[in-house]
Amino acid sequence: MTARTVVADILLGLAVALVLGSSVGVLVMRDVYQKIHFVTPAALVAPLAVGLAVLVQSGATIVTAQTWLTLLFVVIAGPVLAHATIRAARIREKGDWRSGRGGASSQPSSRRGGSGASGGSQS
Amino acid sequence: MNGFVIAAIAMLLGVIPCGIVVCRGTVMEALVAYELISAIVVMVLILLPEGFRRSGEFELPLLLAVLLFGSGLVFVRFLERWL
Repeated sequence: MTARTVVADILLGLAVALVLGSSVGVLVMRDVYQKIHFVTPAALVAPLAVGLAVLVQSGATIVTAQTWLTLLFVVIAGPVLAHATIRAARIREKGDWRSGRGGASSQPSSRRGGSGASGGSQS
Repeated sequence: MNGFVIAAIAMLLGVIPCGIVVCRGTVMEALVAYELISAIVVMVLILLPEGFRRSGEFELPLLLAVLLFGSGLVFVRFLERWL
């Protein structure tokens, strides 16, 4: 077992731990506003660990370039989709994503004891 | 079986909690779980060719990553207003 393999395995272990932790977080959190926080580690940090593991294992090859290009799309898509999802959840809940417009209160229903963006109210 | 294959199998276990959320949660919670599943599957499809030394199969995760980005935005847009 070479040093490269050891480093790659450590990075892969980190990525796996992040993914499993994020999955459990998405399962146990109460509503969409809390669940969305657990997508970011798996969509942002874990791909970086996987890309570094491939880089360490394979070196600077075309495979590594393809891997980093793929993970670049994942890393870009994660925050954009998270923002769009929260915006959509708020619009479904209140009619407008901005505070104080389209609803009686600017507080999300989850903080008022409701079920969050359950998809029930739609403008 | 090397570390990449083991990591891919371990990551696939993370799909199970997300699948439970997709089946039992609300539609917006299912969308969040879908986004997490997309990221996991792309990483698994990177780890498996690296683990089995099949460099020709790296196009699949690249294509999937591009398509999942677009499809995620389309899902969000439709759920925002019309569904």
